[in-house]
Amino acid sequence: MARTRSTKAAPAPKKASTDSKSASSKFALAPQSENPSKLFILPSKAASDARIVTLPNPRHSRPARYLVCPETGIYEFTKVAAPKTTPRSWLIETTPASTGADTEKDDTQLKAETSTGQELYLATAIDPLFLSLPALAEIKTSKGSGEQKRMFLTSDDHFEKLPEESSHLSEILRCPKTRALIEARMGAICDTVEAGDETMFRLNEKTLVGVILDKAKKMSKGGFPLSMDEKFVKKALEAPILVQKREMKGGELVTGPPDTDSQVSTPQIESTESQSTVASTETTASSVSQPSTAATSFSEGQVTTDSIVSAMEASPEIVQLQRLRVAFNFICSNYVAPTLAAQLQELLATSSTDFSPLDEYHSKLSKLRADAVTSRSTGDYSRKHDRDEEEDEARAEKKRKLEEEKKKKASESRGVRELKKVNTKGMKKMSDFFKKK
Amino acid sequence: MLEARLEQAALLKKVVDAIKDLVQDCNFDCNDTGIALQAMDNSHVALVSMMLKAEAFSPFRCDRNISLGVNLTSLTKVLRAAQNEDILTVKAEDGPDVLNLVFESSANDRISEYDLKLMDIDQEHLGIPDTEYAATIAMPSVEFRRIVADLTAMSESVNIEASKDGVKFSSNGDIGNGSVTLRSHTDLDKPELNVDIELTEPVSLTFSLKYLGNFCKAAALSTQVKICLSNEVPLLVEYTLAGSSYLRFYLAPKIGDDE
Repeated sequence: MARTRSTKAAPAPKKASTDSKSASSKFALAPQSENPSKLFILPSKAASDARIVTLPNPRHSRPARYLVCPETGIYEFTKVAAPKTTPRSWLIETTPASTGADTEKDDTQLKAETSTGQELYLATAIDPLFLSLPALAEIKTSKGSGEQKRMFLTSDDHFEKLPEESSHLSEILRCPKTRALIEARMGAICDTVEAGDETMFRLNEKTLVGVILDKAKKMSKGGFPLSMDEKFVKKALEAPILVQKREMKGGELVTGPPDTDSQVSTPQIESTESQSTVASTETTASSVSQPSTAATSFSEGQVTTDSIVSAMEASPEIVQLQRLRVAFNFICSNYVAPTLAAQLQELLATSSTDFSPLDEYHSKLSKLRADAVTSRSTGDYSRKHDRDEEEDEARAEKKRKLEEEKKKKASESRGVRELKKVNTKGMKKMSDFFKKK
Repeated sequence: MLEARLEQAALLKKVVDAIKDLVQDCNFDCNDTGIALQAMDNSHVALVSMMLKAEAFSPFRCDRNISLGVNLTSLTKVLRAAQNEDILTVKAEDGPDVLNLVFESSANDRISEYDLKLMDIDQEHLGIPDTEYAATIAMPSVEFRRIVADLTAMSESVNIEASKDGVKFSSNGDIGNGSVTLRSHTDLDKPELNVDIELTEPVSLTFSLKYLGNFCKAAALSTQVKICLSNEVPLLVEYTLAGSSYLRFYLAPKIGDDE
């Protein structure tokens, strides 16, 4: 996908023409355009009759923009923007050469403008099945009952259920290629019945889970972006760090970090091998331990060298499962309505992929974390600072009182002060003898 | 407005000196009969009552009743600037903020003037009835002061026992015990050394020596002191000042625990 720099190639019908062609003077600033140019990166393979349309978002059913190309499919827009705290702007220069293919009817040879809108919209392919999903799952969500209530319907009947407000669905369905594409994707997640010359669809959740799981597998196999991997995989599986040595138990937990595993373990094997060849006088017990898995020897090495170790570490299978789950959740949270997503989560448990080792690991992990929290709370000095402030206040108060006392003392003679110490036990008050006037 | 002139500043100096170790702040209540003061110590077991009659001053003028709230430590500081022989004049407006003190030296025409800030003191006044005491002992104030000082070395309290034989001050302490007995004594040449005991019935009471020691600071005011005792009644120690002016101390007896 080549980067094409273009303004909105073919503005959607509802959108006003974006490019206000202000013949800008060299010296005077042109008035701010009401519709400033926006930056899109569109797939170069998209045909020229591709259109930006408004369709209901499958997640929350609100209108969203999509690029629909009859040849290559449907694309969603991903907004790339820096946070508001770091304002940026685009300098957009349109030359006849680069915009030649576009519909730009320019009378100036070179046009340049700046856009304070820092967003960059990236068109990425979306599986049309997600767009049709709200329609297919509609009955279930509205009536909230079992599968038997769902009926086989024609694609048109399904599409009617989608919110029509500011939707261009009917327009794009007029294009036979697009329609065929959507229906084909619907077929992938539906049970179909041929009725005459029409195909009837009924959503099959199990197939849907399978399809999403396949997508998730693909996604996780390719590896996550680093930040995502760090946050959702590594952090989620990270065990609390223990300062003291901890005996490793259970082969699957003893492994080293999964990504470095293969590289690190190989030299480890070599070293043990070289050890055994050199030190031939080693006991049988140690030579027996040598054939143990590379992973174990690695972790042992780590334990002996490091006193700071993680309580447990995840095996590559568990990391893989975690990635898969994160990918699945990611897809669900982006393209599937919340209610349906919850159902899919339940169905995922019964799917072909077994997540039980991961669940086991997580339960162990949460226990370890709870333990770590309780053990830490006793030695937690983080609140000490607060107490210090309180102490300071108390001290200031004390000081103030002390000064007041001092002042009071100055107004009080030595004799009076000493009389205070006198034992007045057994002495009645004067008011007991003399009545008040 | 108050304007009172004392021929000798010594009187006020000594009065304040005698009270300041018992009382911290007190009101000088001024009216046309003179200047009165009544105050209790912090523990409220002792009371000081002073009356400086108008005759003690020359002249004395007080149009309206004025209450002068004074911190005695501060007043002592100001009075320290006065010589004993200085002529002292105290002046105050009606509803005053300050007490004006003027010290005039008759020897050299030196006039010093001080304003002492006054304060609002909330003090309760006790009505002290005229009491017929069972025993009244008049003795030289220096003698009384000496007895108190001597017995303070033995104990913190003294038992005063008045009988027809005389008056016996006795103390029982950790290091031992001691007593001083006085009999009626008349010195015709020096009447200020007389010891006079009037007794209607025998009395025996115990008092705190620390407090009595404080009262004795007034010894400078008068050569004679009058000690009045009755059972179950506060001791009265009275110093007579010029004319019918007086400085009286009352002290509650110690009841129950004898050492």
